[in-house]
Amino acid sequence: MTSNRWLFIILALLAGIGIGLAYGWVFDPVDFFDLTPDTLRADYKADYVLMTAEAYRAEQDPGLAARRLAIFGTQSPSAIAAEGLDYARANGFSDADIALMQELVTALQAWSGIR
Amino acid sequence: MKRIPWWRLGALLALLAGLGLGLVYSWAISPPRIVEAQPAALRADFKDQYRSVIAAAYAATGNLPRARARLSLLGDADPIEALNAQAQRMLATGGQVEYPGQVAALALALDDEHSSVPVSTPVVEITQSVDNSATATSPPPPPEVPILLTETPEVLEIQPTPTLGAPTPRPTRTPIPTLGAPFTLTGQESICDSNLPDGLLQVLVLNSNRRQLAGVEIVVTWDGGEEQFFTGLKPELGNGYADYIMTPNITYTIQLARGSDVALGVVAPTCQTASGENFFGGIKLTFQQP
Repeated sequence: MTSNRWLFIILALLAGIGIGLAYGWVFDPVDFFDLTPDTLRADYKADYVLMTAEAYRAEQDPGLAARRLAIFGTQSPSAIAAEGLDYARANGFSDADIALMQELVTALQAWSGIR
Repeated sequence: MKRIPWWRLGALLALLAGLGLGLVYSWAISPPRIVEAQPAALRADFKDQYRSVIAAAYAATGNLPRARARLSLLGDADPIEALNAQAQRMLATGGQVEYPGQVAALALALDDEHSSVPVSTPVVEITQSVDNSATATSPPPPPEVPILLTETPEVLEIQPTPTLGAPTPRPTRTPIPTLGAPFTLTGQESICDSNLPDGLLQVLVLNSNRRQLAGVEIVVTWDGGEEQFFTGLKPELGNGYADYIMTPNITYTIQLARGSDVALGVVAPTCQTASGENFFGGIKLTFQQP
């Protein structure tokens, strides 16, 4: 009889832990702020790459484009741009946007080779 | 009074303790991994960089609706003020000249658009239709709001502005906004104030709403020389304020780099104090968009 009561207490403890985890992970997760760009959702990253590509089309400065993409951290600029391009192709970006991003990827690959 | 059995009390306490442990673990020890953050959650310096790239893309494409949609992702209460403030910070920290210029130009374009009233004819009215099946990267403008264009009539295709979710095809043709009409010189006055530095040239740049504009390049030339300076470096005196010390007895020509009336023959005036002493006064110029 006593062991059943202890089991009941342990089950209550486990239930409490489960409820706490569910609340903290699902129902009311931590609000994050002051984040770094590598945490951005993939579509925002792709849009950032597109912005860089749009600016690159006018500026024709691969070094400047690389500095802009360096915001995402440790990957090479050409790899970051290539990821954005892959996302754009897979998610119905317009041909014009894809062409811009392709131009940027090519330029950054060439620029990386020169460096 | 009936006593609560010890094991029931123990179970209640165990439940509460478990709840506490679960919350501590899920909030502090192992919060969910962040992989889908929105730009609004970025750190301030990364937001600045994001804004700069938006401004650079706008400078390259002239696509103001898209720039506005992108700016809205950053969650600024007043995007124009945020851009102006960033342009000032960039100028003050000595960043490369073209970047604050781009940021300020985007602020100016948004401000102009915000305050513009269609005056020319013909007016082409296009109500933006929103395709529910479309997916995009930024929030759409209210679909009920018609877009008024005062450009020469032409066939315009406006695709839905991106919404949060998945990316959307880019608008293929969008009216390219201008940066506004050239500035006119609306004021030129001599300032005889012995408390101010000798030969102080003060320049104030306003838009058509008399709102001060930061990051505007001012070009001052004289016989054998030229210099540039910018508004907004002394925000305590106003976003659109800039100053320059003139050398006495040299004649200057002043204009705004983005296009303005030219202030010719600007010379530091000779003034007198109450006690009869001479000193060089200053000049105050006001440029405003019509």
